[in-house]
Amino acid sequence: MAGLVPPGTTTIPADASKAAHTKAEEKTDYMNLPCPIPFEELHREALMSLKPETFEGLRFDFTKGLNQKFSLSHSVFMGPTELPSQSAETIKIPTAHYEFGANFIDPNLMLIGRMLTDGRLNARVKWDLTDNLSVKANAQLTNEPHMSHGMVNFDYKGKDYRSQLQIGNGSLFGASYIQSVTPHLSLAGEIFWTGQHLKSGIGYAARYETDKMVAAGQVASTGMVALSYVQKVSEKVSLASDFMYNYMIGDVTASVGYDYILRQCRLRGKIDSNGCTAAYLEERLNMGLNFILSAEIDHKKKDYKFGFGLTVG
Amino acid sequence: MSFFGQGKKRGFGASDDDMGIITRLSHAVSDSPITNATKRAANDAAYVTKKLLNSTGKAAWFAGTTFLILVVPLIIEMDREQQLNELELQQQNLLGSPPAK
Repeated sequence: MAGLVPPGTTTIPADASKAAHTKAEEKTDYMNLPCPIPFEELHREALMSLKPETFEGLRFDFTKGLNQKFSLSHSVFMGPTELPSQSAETIKIPTAHYEFGANFIDPNLMLIGRMLTDGRLNARVKWDLTDNLSVKANAQLTNEPHMSHGMVNFDYKGKDYRSQLQIGNGSLFGASYIQSVTPHLSLAGEIFWTGQHLKSGIGYAARYETDKMVAAGQVASTGMVALSYVQKVSEKVSLASDFMYNYMIGDVTASVGYDYILRQCRLRGKIDSNGCTAAYLEERLNMGLNFILSAEIDHKKKDYKFGFGLTVG
Repeated sequence: MSFFGQGKKRGFGASDDDMGIITRLSHAVSDSPITNATKRAANDAAYVTKKLLNSTGKAAWFAGTTFLILVVPLIIEMDREQQLNELELQQQNLLGSPPAK
């Protein structure tokens, strides 16, 4: 990161040595830039505050470790699920399912499988072939025809860049590349092509990160412009704001949120320009026992979703 | 008397010549342009006040429920954190001050 201080400066007077030290810090070593974060995690800090996983109903998760590497999980969910509908009315159907899952976690290999009682199967694989190359795959299989999909990613991590190739079913191809340009700034580009809908697009992104803040921006040829800014106010509190604009459709959304990480709990809240506010609270009742409360109020659509849950292990 | 009865039977819209003195006086007060203007102004004021109350009510509902969802859990959790900190400080003072024997 900082270049080396030239030798032989030990006998210079105080203020001159301070000036030399700051000058050495400013002179960045462009051969030793840090490795950037993966492209899909560009807006990671902002999404953590602004898109908490709110749910409606009861959620219960139990994870039991059988081994150091192997664990089983049982999960129950009861509550209304929203059906995607064209009209402004939200249609909710009460559903309940039990999900059984198995995880195998190794330093190089991670396998996660989940089976639900409504006939769906989720599987995820992450395999680090070498230090630099890793393969990720995920699949979702259902009973309904034409609703199953799968995707494979090949990631190559270089010294100060990352590149990714993505292949999905329904002939979806995507590639992305992110490069560190200075110790704080990294630039990225991506292209994708779908065979099913015959769409292709190209996008650019930039991310500027310091200890106290992260600013990221992304533009895509599908008409999406997304900007986000996260300020870390203290080690417990961070505030985030986000602006999304689709210049083809003319749809604008801005949102502001906070993320408080306290010792006993983690509280996230956000408010939107669409009149939607959400809050998500995870409270640690005991060792390994977490109590979750989730609330989402949409004033425009008059849709109110409240959920509670318990996570064990 | 029949003179008054005649005026009253004719009802509204009767011309001034056929009405009695009292009806003429009351019509002079109630049909004058000043009372009409006052009535219109009162109607407008009532309409505007109703709309204002309505939107204030809606804004109060919006602000109230948003405050309840976003701010109340935050206050509760920060209070608990503060209590925990005070407890820890107390325990530290209790355990930290007596010298080791």
